Amino acid sequence: MSLTNAPTLETERLILRSPAKRDAEAMIAFLMDDTRAAGFGGYTNRPDSWRWFALNLGHWHWHGYGYFTIEDKATGKPAGISGIWNPEGWPEPEVGWVVFDGFEGKGIAFEAATRARRWAYDDLGFTTLTSNIVPGNTRSIRLAERMGAVYERTYHNPNMGEDLLYRHPGPEALV
Amino acid sequence: MTDAPVLTTARLRLRGHSRSDLDRLCDLMGSDHARFMGGPVPRKDAWRWLASEVAMWNLMGHGAWGIETSDGRFIGQVGLVQPPHFPEVEIGWMLLPEAEGKGYAFDAASAARDWAWDQGFETLVSYITPENTRSRALADRLGATPDPDAPLPDGETAKEIIVYRHSPDDSDGSPEAYA
Repeated sequence: MSLTNAPTLETERLILRSPAKRDAEAMIAFLMDDTRAAGFGGYTNRPDSWRWFALNLGHWHWHGYGYFTIEDKATGKPAGISGIWNPEGWPEPEVGWVVFDGFEGKGIAFEAATRARRWAYDDLGFTTLTSNIVPGNTRSIRLAERMGAVYERTYHNPNMGEDLLYRHPGPEALV
Repeated sequence: MTDAPVLTTARLRLRGHSRSDLDRLCDLMGSDHARFMGGPVPRKDAWRWLASEVAMWNLMGHGAWGIETSDGRFIGQVGLVQPPHFPEVEIGWMLLPEAEGKGYAFDAASAARDWAWDQGFETLVSYITPENTRSRALADRLGATPDPDAPLPDGETAKEIIVYRHSPDDSDGSPEAYA
């Protein structure tokens, strides 16, 4: 039984698929790691982290999109999450990414986020996408720029506070 | 995806939440009406809370229903929920203000409770703030009784929460029902 209606997408090294119960521990570990989750918004306790995992499932039900689990083909392990995120209070839908401990530095986020963006343009019919990045998160800024996104403005995000909005190239620019 | 089963009573229909339900519940959670439900809470937080609840059917095999009247009007929520800090499954309810006072919450909670017993749930409780006299009256009417020995949700004290325990015997009404 799949927990969401997420399709399964594939790249050279990765599978993007519906979040599953077996992914919960890896996600909770990430959210409770205050250094790693600083740019994403984490929690200091397990119940809230667990609820975030459930929130992502509900987000899929609500919007028909959300964060995929990124599965590393080589190991079969969850390597992170990437997808389209648009909870209440967000300025507009964004492409987001998180790479779990042990999977960094391999270009996984780039590979996954590029595929998720392609899915949003081709299959969901999005015409534009953003990424919201907290100031100082230089890794994510570099990744956004590598994806061709450009800084547009600084705004106040209801969850993250001061936030940088990057805009991705539209579907026509990526053909 | 797992959806909520549809339950019907003489006056009500309980079914999985729709997007428009959640919009109304976000408004409710943001109002003073939510003062016994941990609110008022900002809309952005209510949205996250409710969206996570939609997923509970998948994760837990139980969850929340939207309550509608026979003419299809949405009037509130009843749910069987167990977030990680709850030691037992809770049956909880919230009704839009305009639907109160008509016994709808009793009907909906009875249906959800009976469904839970049919599913083989072993225990069911309702965690109620002492000042929430309406909900306490409803718990009484449902046949639930305060259980001072019950474990409390993590982080709560007996001053903040009364645990009402439901028991399968309540479901068929008063003992006279057997007479």
